[in-house]
Amino acid sequence: MIKATGLTKRFKNYKKPPGFFASLKSLFYRHYETNDAVSSFDVQIEPGEIVGLLGPNGAGKTTLMKMFTGIITPSEGQLEVLGYVPAKRDRLFRKQIALVMGQKSQLWWDIPAMDSFQLLQRYYEIENAAFQTRISELAHLLEAEDFLHVHVRKLSLGERMKVELMACLLHEPKLIFLDEPTIGLDLIAQKNIRDFLRQYHQQTRTTIVLTSHYMADVEALCARIILILDGKKGFDGPIGEFETLLGHEKNVSFLFSQQQDPTDSLWQKYDAQWNIDYTEVDLRLPEEKLREVCANILQHYPVTEFSTEKMPIERVMKTVMSNPKLIK
Amino acid sequence: MMTAIRIEFLKWFQTMKVTWSEVFVYRFNFLLMVIGPMLVLFFIKYNVWSSIYQGASGQEINGYTFEEMVSYHLWFMIVSMLSMAYSGQDLAEDIRLGRISSYLIYPINFWQFNTARFLSIECIQVGIVLITLSTTYLGFSHILGEFNPSAFFAGFAISFLVGVFWFTIQYTTGLLAFWFEETWTFRVLFQIIAHFLSGAIIPLDFYPSWLVAILDYSPFPTLAYVPVKIFLGSYTELWKAAFTLLFWIIISAGIAAWVWKRGLKLYTAAGM
Repeated sequence: MIKATGLTKRFKNYKKPPGFFASLKSLFYRHYETNDAVSSFDVQIEPGEIVGLLGPNGAGKTTLMKMFTGIITPSEGQLEVLGYVPAKRDRLFRKQIALVMGQKSQLWWDIPAMDSFQLLQRYYEIENAAFQTRISELAHLLEAEDFLHVHVRKLSLGERMKVELMACLLHEPKLIFLDEPTIGLDLIAQKNIRDFLRQYHQQTRTTIVLTSHYMADVEALCARIILILDGKKGFDGPIGEFETLLGHEKNVSFLFSQQQDPTDSLWQKYDAQWNIDYTEVDLRLPEEKLREVCANILQHYPVTEFSTEKMPIERVMKTVMSNPKLIK
Repeated sequence: MMTAIRIEFLKWFQTMKVTWSEVFVYRFNFLLMVIGPMLVLFFIKYNVWSSIYQGASGQEINGYTFEEMVSYHLWFMIVSMLSMAYSGQDLAEDIRLGRISSYLIYPINFWQFNTARFLSIECIQVGIVLITLSTTYLGFSHILGEFNPSAFFAGFAISFLVGVFWFTIQYTTGLLAFWFEETWTFRVLFQIIAHFLSGAIIPLDFYPSWLVAILDYSPFPTLAYVPVKIFLGSYTELWKAAFTLLFWIIISAGIAAWVWKRGLKLYTAAGM
């Protein structure tokens, strides 16, 4: 479905110091810098997969998406998506993909969503009967019937995202790219979108490539994770193995009956994450030390409750992002 | 074959319908579109020429009476309404802010989308022009001159070609946003030059003959002076005007295609 070898995208930018004189100077002389947004990236995505592209801001996730969809041209490397070279923007290729950008509306702002859908119906050459059926199905699944005839600019963010998703699914694409589809949404709206995507994927087995800063999206939807750091692949594998990036560790939470001293050396050894009044702590414990450390804490501190779990993906991400050398 | 043509037609027609919906959303903007050119004509050009003729000793200036001058500018207003309604400003902004990404994904080409938008605006302008002309004929038929159907339709056809030419220019300058932060300067610069050299401000009869001879090799006279004279029924070289415009349309469309191809390589889809 997607096959990339040595994929690289280079951007050339100029740096301008602040101030009027620097602006004046920049009219005559500019210092350009070339950066690799994505560097020698290899990836293969099979039909039917949902893959999560993870990484901090500026890591290269969106640049990858842009290259996969043919919006920008790679500087180097080979890329094949659905058997096409995306940068050639073949019309048949464009008819088989869809892109949803959480931060940018693709619908026409000043008209109701239904008018945009009718336009897309023509662009994707969908028969009238099939179009009507598709609209009813998607509107029902997304509970969007009530606002299809409202101007897009008047929709709430959650409603807008629903119609954006409808627009991208009208032509039953084989490959869907979702760039931060739940960004800015409240918790209920996020869950609705996630549930819809999961259900849609179960029904259609459409290949989905997703980027999101919300780990809940990734955990709920993706079986496979690709971590990108500084334009390079940091991890590529099943979500269950993601926690092993940090070795075999467990997350253990303790709740205390009174405030604790966070400077105690015991806490500092295990990457303690405290709540605001220092009565609850999350520790990252190596599996072999789990029994010993827990017994010690239970014996010497006023523990009222404790629990252990696998390392949450969010915690792994935070740790990796604050110390990328861990996986280099 | 017919099905393929029908499918293609539906794509264009639906794009036009969406543009109409967008234009009619803001009622006050639409009202300004209808009455704006008339207000400009009346408050600026009419008053300026009225003062000039009051100061002149004779009844005519360079062979034009005051009424003929007003008639010339009224017909130029019609030509400009039919030819200069499309602006590349939105297009440039869309490129600069990375909003054209959607059009790179949809299975329709960017030029097709924009051409369909141009055609839809052109249709609205035809409606506005017909209303403007009908009301003017009712009250000021002596200024417009006698209705001459063949001159009228020829004038419309040539004005449409002028519109296509302006569209390709606007489209090309809009595409310069791949390289430049602001592209309006290019548009305004070209418009100012075109206004001076096309006879939009003063009829070309006022210009020295050597300059008019040089301008004959450029597209400028066909952008204002020639279509106005066609509407007035005093220009007979219709085919020459049409071929001149077609020649320059092909040149500027070729440049637009080249600029798009080069510019797209620089596109970064900022803000996505």
